[in-house]
Order: sequence, then C-alpha cells, then structure tokens
Amino acid sequence: MGRTDSLAKLAWAYGVHLTRRRLSRPRSQLRKLLDTYASDGIRALTPAERERHSHLIGCINCGLCALAAARMGKARLPDVASSYLRLYARVGEASSDVEGDEPDFEAAAAACPVGVPLEEVAAIVRRIAAG
Amino acid sequence: MSPPSDHDVCVIGGGVTGAGIARDLSLRGLSVLLLEKGDWGAGTTGGSSWMIHGGPRYLEFDWETTRLSTQDAGYIVSIARNLVYRVVFIIPVLPHDRNNIERMETAMEVYDRFQPLKKAHPHTRLTAEEALLAEPGLTRELIGAVTMEEWGVDPHRLVYANVEDAVAHGARAMNHTRVIDLIRDGGKVIGVRYRTADGAVSEARARVVVNASGPWSPEVSGMAGVPVKLRPAKGIHIVYPHRISNFSISAESIDGRDLLMVSHAGFTLLGTTDDDFYGDLDSVDILQDEVDYLLQAFERVFPSIRSYRPVRTTAAVRPTLYKWRRYEDELSRRYEVIDHAAQGVEGFVTIAGGKLSMYRLMAEQTSDAVCHKLGHQAKCTTATTALPGNESDMEPAAELARRCGIPALAAVKLQSRHGSRAEKVLDGARAGRLVCRCEPLTEAELAYAARREQVRTLADAFRRVGLAAGPCAGSACVMRAAEVIGRELGWSASQRFDAVREFVRGAWLGRAPVLARAGWAQEELAQGAMRGLIT
Repeated sequence: MGRTDSLAKLAWAYGVHLTRRRLSRPRSQLRKLLDTYASDGIRALTPAERERHSHLIGCINCGLCALAAARMGKARLPDVASSYLRLYARVGEASSDVEGDEPDFEAAAAACPVGVPLEEVAAIVRRIAAG
Repeated sequence: MSPPSDHDVCVIGGGVTGAGIARDLSLRGLSVLLLEKGDWGAGTTGGSSWMIHGGPRYLEFDWETTRLSTQDAGYIVSIARNLVYRVVFIIPVLPHDRNNIERMETAMEVYDRFQPLKKAHPHTRLTAEEALLAEPGLTRELIGAVTMEEWGVDPHRLVYANVEDAVAHGARAMNHTRVIDLIRDGGKVIGVRYRTADGAVSEARARVVVNASGPWSPEVSGMAGVPVKLRPAKGIHIVYPHRISNFSISAESIDGRDLLMVSHAGFTLLGTTDDDFYGDLDSVDILQDEVDYLLQAFERVFPSIRSYRPVRTTAAVRPTLYKWRRYEDELSRRYEVIDHAAQGVEGFVTIAGGKLSMYRLMAEQTSDAVCHKLGHQAKCTTATTALPGNESDMEPAAELARRCGIPALAAVKLQSRHGSRAEKVLDGARAGRLVCRCEPLTEAELAYAARREQVRTLADAFRRVGLAAGPCAGSACVMRAAEVIGRELGWSASQRFDAVREFVRGAWLGRAPVLARAGWAQEELAQGAMRGLIT
C-alpha cells in the first residue's frame, strides 16, 4: 500500500514537473549553486586545475621538501601544502598559515620523490586561502 | 573476580546505536553500563559512508520514512554542529542511465519538500555545459545533471561524543571489553560476564540488558538462547586522502546500483558494495574485484579516477534484517526493536538493523522500550540536548591558533573534533608541536585522547583524532605517536614497538587491495620508515 501510494504521488509529481517545464523557460542555475555553497568552501576547480589535479595532490608527506627548502619565515610551506589541499574547502579559515616568506621551491621540488609541483601547489593554496 | 557492579541497564555494543542508547538512558536518569569489545565505532559505524542523509531513495517506497529520516538528520545536525558539514552531490545523467533527467529532477523536487527538516538547500538543475563548469572532471558524454545536498559527519567522533555525554551523566563506558556470557536466572537475563583488555573477568548485574551489537547481534542473543536473524551485508569503500572534487558525485554501477563518491572534510570515500556476507565478522577481507567494481562505475562518469592514489580501503558488515530473496536496496536499512520477553527471555532487548542517519531515533525507540519495561517515566531529550562541544559557538579558528601557538589549520581540525571545547584540549606545554603533519594533529590533542578519551592503541588514535589518516598513512608519525601515547599510558619501550607493529600490520590489510603505481611510492616510504616492523 505504501509503495503504491508513493509511486502514485511520484507519478503526479512527474506530470506536474513536465507541465511546468513546458510552460516555463529554463534559466541557468549554476550561479545560484556556486553562490549557495561558497561559504562552505565548495567551489569549482578550473579546467586547468582539474587537468593537473592528481599531480597537485600526489604528496606522500615524506617531509623531504621542508628539509631541502630550508623553510623560512612563518609560512608553513611547502611541506604542509598537501595538508592544505586536503582541506581546501576550509583553507580560508587558515589563511594566516600561508602568509610569509617564500621558501626555496626549486630545491624543494627537486627533492620530492613523487614529483609534486610544489610552487604551483603553493600558489593554488594561497589563491584559495585568499578567497 | 571482583564483586559484580549493579546497573539499571547494560548496553552491549559501542557503535553509534549502542552509544546513542547509553546517552539517551543516562539523560533519562538511569544508571548505564556500556561495553564494547573493540574500540568505539570501530565496526559497522566506522565503515559507513560517513553521511547523515535523508534517504531520497525511500521516496519510491514510503514517504513517511523519508520524512522521519530527514527530521532525525535535522536533529543530529543541530546537536552535533562541529561534526557535520555540507556534502553537495552532482548527479550526472548519461545517455543510457535508468532515469532520464526529467525523472531525476522530479525526484529532487519531491525531496526538496523534506530538505528544510535537515537545514539543507533545494536542488539545482544543470545543463551538461554547466555541470562541466562546476566539475570539469565529469565525462563529456553527460546530458545534464541535478544536485542534491546531504550532510557529512565524522562517525567516530559522533560515537565518542555520545559516549562522553553518557559518562558525563553517570554512565560507565568501557571499550576493549568483550562480553563473554549473559548471566541468567531461570528465564531472565540479569547481567553480563565480561573480559577487559588486561584479561580480567568481571560481572555486572542489570535489570535490562540491551543487545546493540549490530552484525554481532545473533552471537550475543545466542548467549541468551534466543535467535536474532540477520542477513549481513558487506560493504567496502575506497579511501583517497584528499578531496578529489569539492562536489560529491553519484554513479551507476554495471548492475544498476547507485554508488557515491563522497567529498568529506579532507578525504574522499568511494563506495559502496552491498554483498551477502557469510564469513568471520572479525576478519572481513577486501577483494580486488570489489575495488575494480567501484572504479569501473566511476570511470564512466569521472574518467580520471584511476589517476588518483587511494590510500586504503574500509570494509564493514551491515546488520541488515533478514529477508529471503532480493532485498530492495532502499528499504534494507530498516530496524526493529525486539523485546525477547515474547520468546520467554525477560530482561533482554535487541535493536537490529538500521543505519547511521537514524541512530538517534533508533536509540530513542530502544530506550522507550527499556523504560517501559522498567516502569521508568522519563522523556527522551536527545533531539534537543547538544552533544559535548556544541554548548556554545566556536571562536574563529585563526584566533584559537594565535592564542595557543598552533597552525590555524590544526585549529580548524581540532575544532571539527572538539567544537567549543577545543582550547581545553590544548592545556599543556606541548600544544604547538605537530605529531601528524597530514592531519595536522598536535601532540597535545593526542596526549589528551590517551588521557581522557580512552585511546588504548594507535588504531584507537586513528579513529579518535585522525592519526595516520592522511597521505603518508602513518609512515611519518606512528613511531612518534607511540611515544606520546606511551608516555600517557606508561608503555615500556617494547610495548611502544609492539603498538606500532600492530598498527602497521592492521593498516596493511586495508592498503594492499589498492596499491598500484603511485601507491607503491608511498609504500616504499612506509617500508623504509618502518624497516623491521612489517614482516
């Protein structure tokens, strides 16, 4: 009985939906979607970021980059860049962590055993953190 | 053997349902003993998809179930604000899918009526081009998409928050404590006999014993001589240590099942399978075929999925209610409160079936049955009483970080586990040192977990504070973590070594099925860092 009732109500809703689609002109809802969830940090990656994303998050957290880069200032880059990318929905709340001097990214990237493009990762983290 | 302790109720099983029952009954003023053979939430709860969802699939079967499910999800979201976060699904529609875009949107329009009950937003509809702008990784073959919002949750912390609150209201809660027998007096169950982690055997008397042991329910009920019939179902997930996408994505498997790639706070879960399970509940293996089944489905909607490096797999067994023949996926998460007095066994109640999203309601109904048996007049208050850490609003993470001298990201994570009580956790001189860079996790929080949150093993720390949950899978942190925990618990050097070895062996079981290409780079690092521990 419950199932019959549910299917009947869904069938009615389907009819109403099709009628509404015929009578109204569809409008783009993408902006609404992105605006609704911006405060939750749910954003779209650019096609270029998506293309390289699996490389950007390939860090295995060995820590060699921090040794090679002789991290300076208070910025927690490059070795925690991976941690920030893990949580990029909430990186904005931790933007103070990525302010400060530039470490030697070239040396850091050269030491990385899995070839993470650390300078690029750091740039993305800083961009996301800035909002 | 020490003299037995006395309680109104003994709850067997420290998953989310058992913990929820212990909390509910404690808040109603009853004395409760909660026993868990492993760690809190280490079984079915921890192996779930980590979601509090409203159950849009139930719309085909019973709208009232959808209403109840969304309403209860709303309660959980209100009482556990620090533990939940929005999860937004893109549901792509491909040319040969079972449901066309109009049917999918109709379902979402109906579901929108229930979404306000759980403080969620209505759906949106996207053209193929718009869907690709929101998530460029989707297949170019899609013909449109709809979105749907649910809530993600850390189930381990949810369980522990319930345990913590139960204890705060007078309950006694013991993990790593296995019930080895039920004590009976004629046809009545009057207590339990249990063995603690150190091997000591004790007894506890209780006016009612509640069996909330999930898939182990038949084993526990067998001790009382009454059958509980389940149809256990195994489900696995593949875990990626990052968000692959900010949007979660659904996919249809080759046999027409709905699968999910869920973007959680700092990782991605891809699952799940749903197969009848007949094996050892304490040793659930993961097959390469199961991993391939999931990847095959997602490759169709998200072609680059195989270029991402999974870090481990999880497996759990659902305590599905028994039914011969095919179970409709959508209703297989039903539950039942069984008073075994009808079978001639007084003082014994089983809660069987169910799902994480409805744990609070299951706990309420079980507690109602227990109170009825005891003639105890007290209303359930768990729908509105905040869990620990939610009593007040959290301060901005950056401020907490500045005051306590920790990275802001560590503060974000700390607050996600402890809510407004975060600063209390950082008391102590070691606050600023990170023990786990991936998470990131401070030594102070790890020490607090050992001192105050019943962490007894490194795997317990994985569940309680996310130790070794990130990309390095523990290779950079477990040795040091053993030092921190060992200092709190008085471990000798060999005990610390043994603890690391036990953790590494356990982690390998979940990692082996997904090692491929890049995974071996991480594995070589782990092998090097832990030389001599992996045998």
